Amino acid sequence: MRLEEIPVIGPLLAAGADDRVFDALLVLGPVIIIAIALLGRNLASIILAASYTAGFSVYIGYKGIRRTPERKT
Amino acid sequence: MANRIGTIARDLGRMLEALAGLILISVLVPLVWREWWVVPGMIVSGMLPLLVGFGLSRGFQNADDPGRLHGMMIAASGWFFVAVFGSIPFLLIAWTARFDPAILDIPTRFTISGTRTFSTLAAFQNPLNGFFESMSGFTGTGLTMTDNEAALPHTLQWWRSFIEWVGGVGVIVLTTAILARPGSGSLTLYESEARSEKIHPSIVSTVRTIWWIFLLFTFFSILLLWLADMPMWDAINHAMTGLATGGFSITDNSIGTYNSVAIDFALIPVMILGSIAFPIHYLILQGDLRNFYKDLQTRWVFIFFAIGTLVLTVILFDQGFYQTETIAVAGIVLQGQAATLFQTFRYALFQFVSAASCTGFQTAGSLGPGWTAPAQLTVAFGMVVGAAAGSTVGGIKLIRLLTLGKGILFRIRGIFYPSSAVRTFRLDGRALSDQEAAQEFEEAAIITFLWLVFLGLAAFVFMLALPMGAGPDAFTVENVLFEVASAQGNVGLSSGITGPGMPTVTKVMFLFNMWIGRLEIIPVLVLLRGVFASLEVYE
Repeated sequence: MRLEEIPVIGPLLAAGADDRVFDALLVLGPVIIIAIALLGRNLASIILAASYTAGFSVYIGYKGIRRTPERKT
Repeated sequence: MANRIGTIARDLGRMLEALAGLILISVLVPLVWREWWVVPGMIVSGMLPLLVGFGLSRGFQNADDPGRLHGMMIAASGWFFVAVFGSIPFLLIAWTARFDPAILDIPTRFTISGTRTFSTLAAFQNPLNGFFESMSGFTGTGLTMTDNEAALPHTLQWWRSFIEWVGGVGVIVLTTAILARPGSGSLTLYESEARSEKIHPSIVSTVRTIWWIFLLFTFFSILLLWLADMPMWDAINHAMTGLATGGFSITDNSIGTYNSVAIDFALIPVMILGSIAFPIHYLILQGDLRNFYKDLQTRWVFIFFAIGTLVLTVILFDQGFYQTETIAVAGIVLQGQAATLFQTFRYALFQFVSAASCTGFQTAGSLGPGWTAPAQLTVAFGMVVGAAAGSTVGGIKLIRLLTLGKGILFRIRGIFYPSSAVRTFRLDGRALSDQEAAQEFEEAAIITFLWLVFLGLAAFVFMLALPMGAGPDAFTVENVLFEVASAQGNVGLSSGITGPGMPTVTKVMFLFNMWIGRLEIIPVLVLLRGVFASLEVYE
């Protein structure tokens, strides 16, 4: 199944940076927010939110580092 | 002429259909918050633009495809009419509370006069106040007609945040795809042959990519603010308005309500995300991190924010405005001068980034009457300049200032060269031909000139309409310049002038300032010329 063929969000995902991790973060974002809104503030929800924000930031850095050697070759 | 009107009417109709969709989808909010009494008002508010939009788009479905002239007129008229129809939820919800039908069981705080909650909602019974709020939202300005945002029904809190968020995406699409022209920054920097930075070639895919980036950043911002201890509803609203650099808040004293160092610092990256051109975000998300320093505008966003913060910190520290005895930051207790310096830096950083990113969040409650004139004018300068073209910010934009600055130096240096010398003007490493350079200078100079002309015109109107000089209710010239720069720069910081009680003429003036500020003036003038010409007022 191609990305564009996913119902509702398919065209949006296909318009992104062709990256499965970012696409996953995009899909998981509202799910995590709704889960936290329902669960309230506790250790599990804090870990969930921290994982998302840290994962997003670290992955951008990782992509940057991985891309730099590619450019040198 | 008839064809031109048909093209504009059809696209306007499509915009109104989309607006109807936004209003109708927002009905979910009162359902979640059990605000049943606003549901009828929201549904009627959605049906009106749907019917008008459907009529226009079907009635003119065979009109010509739009060209550049149409693009400008559609953008200008679209922003205006979307703001008009977007004000209906404010109006209908306020009047629903006013009539107070027993069947809707409206909470008494909205129906019994004499409280701030009542007066806050009742202000929107005046259609002009609703239109002001809607225009302020869709243009990402953030100046408000509400007395106490926390007292509004959740549905209106959401609607204010939602229209700023959607307006933020609208302006990125406008500047990167629809109105990109020489001097606008977007064309030269993001459509060059060397760097395919214009996100995608077609407008439809550009819009989708911008939404992709914007949604990703929104989710990140919501969770970041929540981690900084902001309640989830507040985090959702402030993430949306912070990223869109709109600045509407759902609390009475904006971000100052929380009085939290963590929240202040968590909002800085959110506002900066909204200040960087979205084509650059796209490249960064693809792993090209060098754009943080290689892209002219992005580099200057950081330099400008740093210099402004430093200057403001020095001014406020010298004034001794934030004298603090002790403050604990991340477990470290600061005392005496160190505590004062930290507090001063904290407020200066937040307020300068908020101003230059054109967000308008406020942490410094006494920013108007309490700060000295140099401090106010430093913040006003940030509002006038703004940040990167191709982002959600307002103002003149850094790229125009840089173009003008480099252009002036280029011309002055040219005098020292022989007339036969071949010289090349470079912008962000790109060599521009004489014609390209002339177009860049001309556009940047015209926009800057018009910006200052309308700033002066509005300041003149305000000084005539408001009590000026000494006295408890009087305003100073710097108060007026600050407020006008805030409205036209689509910022939303206030020195205390804006409110439901301001004279009608000043509300109308600000509606115009917010409108032209968002569209960078020219499209509005093109539209007005078209209207006057069709009415045979102007040939």
